[in-house]
Amino acid sequence: MNFWEYLGTRHQQLLVDAYQHASAVFQCMVVATLIGVVVGVVTYRTAWAANLATLTTSTILTMPSLALIGLLIPVVGLGVAPTVIALTLYGLLPITRNAIVGLRGVDPALVDAARGIGMSRTMRLLRIELPLAWPPILTGIRVATQMLMGIAAIAAYASGPGLGNEIFRGLASLGSKNALNQVLAGTLGIIVLALLFDAAYVLIGRLTIPRGIRD
Amino acid sequence: MSGKDDDGRDGGYGPHGPGTDGLGAGKPDVGGLDLDGPEGLDGPDGLGPPDDGTARPAPPPPARRSPLSRIGWQRLTLLPALLILLLLATWLWFQQAHLDTISTNAISGGQVTKALWQHIQLTVISTFFVLIIAIPLGVLLTRRAFRKATPIAMTIANMGQATPAIGLLALLVIWLGTGTKAALIGIIVYAVLPVLANTIAGLKANDPTLVEAARGIGMSPLGVLGRVELPLAVPLILAGVRTALVLNVGTATLATFGGGGGLGVLITTGITNQRMPVLILGAVLTISLALLVDWLASLAEVLLRPRGLEVEA
Repeated sequence: MNFWEYLGTRHQQLLVDAYQHASAVFQCMVVATLIGVVVGVVTYRTAWAANLATLTTSTILTMPSLALIGLLIPVVGLGVAPTVIALTLYGLLPITRNAIVGLRGVDPALVDAARGIGMSRTMRLLRIELPLAWPPILTGIRVATQMLMGIAAIAAYASGPGLGNEIFRGLASLGSKNALNQVLAGTLGIIVLALLFDAAYVLIGRLTIPRGIRD
Repeated sequence: MSGKDDDGRDGGYGPHGPGTDGLGAGKPDVGGLDLDGPEGLDGPDGLGPPDDGTARPAPPPPARRSPLSRIGWQRLTLLPALLILLLLATWLWFQQAHLDTISTNAISGGQVTKALWQHIQLTVISTFFVLIIAIPLGVLLTRRAFRKATPIAMTIANMGQATPAIGLLALLVIWLGTGTKAALIGIIVYAVLPVLANTIAGLKANDPTLVEAARGIGMSPLGVLGRVELPLAVPLILAGVRTALVLNVGTATLATFGGGGGLGVLITTGITNQRMPVLILGAVLTISLALLVDWLASLAEVLLRPRGLEVEA
């Protein structure tokens, strides 16, 4: 069976895996973005808090994903739970750090002007600071998504969902004719998903970055 | 935003100044690539203190300091202390944990030491090869004759980043058979790209007037490279080394799926046999090793940085 025949006969299974992969990454990214931006907003004005947030998230990112998933298994069991927790944790660093750096990079004169025309603290944050800090945050989201694509594949070993199962099935049946097809389908599927997500982020950037700061 | 940051993918890899590199360079699975989006906006003063952002007072002025005092005592002691606590806690827990035959079999006879040693070997050997491939290649790609090829190399590097490490490793195992060789090649291939990107970014970020000046006083191209360009790019190259080390510790855990050994063996044995003590032991050792390697590399980053480039407080 060559690769195309394999895709033809297994496309349903593959599509389900791809959908689950994308959906797991997407949902974890939404959660990670919310937490990351909130942490950024809460900490960026205090040096030690911002440093602590960055240090914590970067320590998490230093841990190899298989080890972190392994540590989560005794606590939450196998399956979706360790996958979701690990993906969200790993997604936090790029977003939190970029949120902090982005928010700090906003020209204080602009914030001052906003205060001068009578905007409240919340209004300043929502209408001035966050829109201006959005491009770096979006970059953080893109970087995090790409990373999570690969980590989600590893999470399949802990019975997580997604295309990683295809790769591990291939590894389990090394030597059989389908091993290469399975690994190839899983790997290429993840690359395609990563590129699709990336294209989507470019589009989101076009639509959401305020016109005044586009380059 | 500077030009090269405009599409985020490039931005991901771009130069990160000494001001912040320690915060993010050298994380597994990302490489140094996540740092840069904001820096284009913000400059290296983004996050205050250099390196890993431990909450510590502003560094003392750089004048008359021995190399060791470049590192605050907090960063010298904090992480090792935490690691010792972590390992001690694991050990104490292990003493009272119930170990059945399967668990005992999995960890007896020096298997833990062997796995740890294999893991360290995988990391060190792969890092060595990553450096001798990526740094000369980066230097070559920034020379005038090859400069046209730089965007192509960067594009390939970015595409490679989308490849899942486990998929790459599995393909190599099918191609080369199980064993250490496939694992090593996989680890190397996976880490070459971020380090290459870091080196290119570092050499490109050098102030062109300095290179011009060096050329103007009659230095040979080799002299300019060796005495001006490379020393100036040292912080970024070191950040790349750190990236490679930490990435490799992480990818080396996957070597077990290709029969390459390492601490991943303990983790996967623990998962497949549902023996939590084995799993936890493997995971704790892997995490400790990763944090330790990152800490050592961060010390090296500070110690080896040319003195003229020290960040003024």
